[in-house]
Amino acid sequence: MSKLQTFIEQQRKEKPILLMTHVVYGYPTIDESLALMRDLLNEGVELLEVQFPFSDPSADGPSILHACHQALQQRPTLARCLEDIALLAEDFPASRILLMSYLNPLYRYGLERLPADAAAAGIAGLIIPDLPLELAADFRHSCVEARIEPIWMLTPETPPARMQQICDAASGMLYCVSRRGVTGADSHNSGNSQQVPLEDYLAAIRATTPLPLGVGFGIRTGVQVKALHGMADIAVVGSGLLDAFNHGGRSAALEQVRSLRG
Amino acid sequence: MQSDKGFFGRFGGSYIPEILHASQQALLDAWNQARVDSDFLAEVDRELQQYSGRPTPLTPCPNLTRELGGAQVFLKREDLNHSGAHKMNNVIGQGLLVKRMGKKRIIAETGAGQHGVASALIAARLGLECTIYMGARDIERQYPNVFWMKQLGATVVPVTSGGQTLRDALDEALRDWSADPSGSHYLLGTACGCAPYPEMVAEFQSVIGREVRAQSLQQFGTLPDSIYACVGGGSNAAGIMLPFIDDQSVELVGVEAGGRGPAPGDHSIRLSDDLGSPGIAQGFATMFLQDDQGQLMETHSIAAGLDYVGVSPILAHLNDTGRVRMTAANDDEVMHAFQALLRLEGIIPALESSHAVAGALRDIPAMSPDKKVVINISGRGDKDIFNVASAVKDAEFGPFLQRYLARELQA
Ligand SMILES: Cc1ncc(COP(=O)(O)O)c(C=O)c1O
Repeated sequence: MSKLQTFIEQQRKEKPILLMTHVVYGYPTIDESLALMRDLLNEGVELLEVQFPFSDPSADGPSILHACHQALQQRPTLARCLEDIALLAEDFPASRILLMSYLNPLYRYGLERLPADAAAAGIAGLIIPDLPLELAADFRHSCVEARIEPIWMLTPETPPARMQQICDAASGMLYCVSRRGVTGADSHNSGNSQQVPLEDYLAAIRATTPLPLGVGFGIRTGVQVKALHGMADIAVVGSGLLDAFNHGGRSAALEQVRSLRG
Repeated sequence: MQSDKGFFGRFGGSYIPEILHASQQALLDAWNQARVDSDFLAEVDRELQQYSGRPTPLTPCPNLTRELGGAQVFLKREDLNHSGAHKMNNVIGQGLLVKRMGKKRIIAETGAGQHGVASALIAARLGLECTIYMGARDIERQYPNVFWMKQLGATVVPVTSGGQTLRDALDEALRDWSADPSGSHYLLGTACGCAPYPEMVAEFQSVIGREVRAQSLQQFGTLPDSIYACVGGGSNAAGIMLPFIDDQSVELVGVEAGGRGPAPGDHSIRLSDDLGSPGIAQGFATMFLQDDQGQLMETHSIAAGLDYVGVSPILAHLNDTGRVRMTAANDDEVMHAFQALLRLEGIIPALESSHAVAGALRDIPAMSPDKKVVINISGRGDKDIFNVASAVKDAEFGPFLQRYLARELQA
């Protein structure tokens, strides 16, 4: 069993659900984003998802898109981001940090060397929304060597056979996208075709894999988090936290986290 | 050109968020069945003929030829398609595929607005709902096209993020598709994006090259010696070039937008001059204009339709193998070529297509008079009236607009 899975399962022994909070590295500045990450870790979030910004984040809605574009004004580098995360990981050994970015900045850095460098920085897992499993053979191999988890995503559109295939390949945890669309408040018309109820979708995944399940996209209230008790292990909160931060700064973001704990 | 599981050499592939995977696979299956279904292909041909007016002519240019004193010049007249550009070939093909798949709604991105208009036209004709994403900056440059999209019943959504051009519109179209992957079809307008789009769009556009082949044999008894096409996303270039890919005697030349010069943000040169580098974004691997951190860069061209940060993986690959020679023409050369075609042949090319003309004008004087050069006029220039009026500093255009506005405000 991977270190990440062990960590999540141990934490879950005492808690009905864990929190994964998301922060865009460099938004609104590098220092302020790091201060927010420290606040969140001090607050005891179990998992911190750090998004290294990309100019074209095609799976992100308006809030995160805007934050990424603002963050890029700071000209962040992935090398410095890894260094900054290494300091956080050292100071907060009771939590785990995951790095999320789109493929291109990581490809540019070197997809073969990233897993080892990220693991050395104390990062527990990597989330790359536009890297599909079938094109990731080399990357997965580098992750195994570096003992870092590539975190795969499942969605309500994922057919059963593919769900099985992804679950079989996964380790550490799975990221279950809660609904169609992009991150944040619903911004596009999601069409007429019926979506599977979240309980049924999560139950189907639960029946396919014993791995811990994180659920994200559109989660922003304590009521939503509570509704996930018993169905998932981790609630992922991204845009909701960002919107709170934009509204009232770090203190509002922390208040939001406390309200999520209910 | 057949891909190897979606790849052309080191480019292409399907790098999309998981939410789109099932819909992308369904499209791949539908396309693989349709491409070998003679009924479907006949339906596409019929619609190309009866709705878009194909075949488009191959027009000899005696005056331009005399003026240049080199090879003989012929123009492939994609400007004479319904909607005024080659974009029609692709929307007819994909539109009929959408009907076949039973989807009711299309999403499109557009730069110059030509693909947007073509999409709105086919949506109206086939009874599909249509939403078009267009960068707010491009809307400012090409409002007349936006006007027609709306008149045709399409919803036009201005994209205000990033540089507010084609690439931002493409991101936003992907986001829309993610919200309704099984109900909507993403009608991509060029030979870019995840598989099967590059291959499928290039195939629908290959009618251009197949016609050029037949027309060349008929009109001058041999294949052309050189073919020039402008390269934005790469669909008109792939369309005219791919049917000649195995004819080594035919030189294939792609012309990119040199813009104001080689400084970052001033051009859209991804393949020539070593300005682009390999990357993976917007669903596929190709040569992108990007910085050392892998952030995509801003681009510029006098022609909105060439103002794109990536390029078809097919052309990136053919550039790798050397089968296609890539070059660039800057804004000034393009205006000069545009005017030459107007004055000498009475043809108004799109500013995009004028890049192909500019690239050819550079080489033709040095070629021997028995050589034949075909230039793809991918679209007509009427849509560029505002940009051209400003570039040629027409004294009457501004006052005309002021008077028009004053009348409208009074009414
Ligand atoms: C007339 C015309 N030519 C060329 C292009 C460039 O596209 P592509 O390179 O896909 O042919 C456009 C795009 O909008 C266009 O409108």
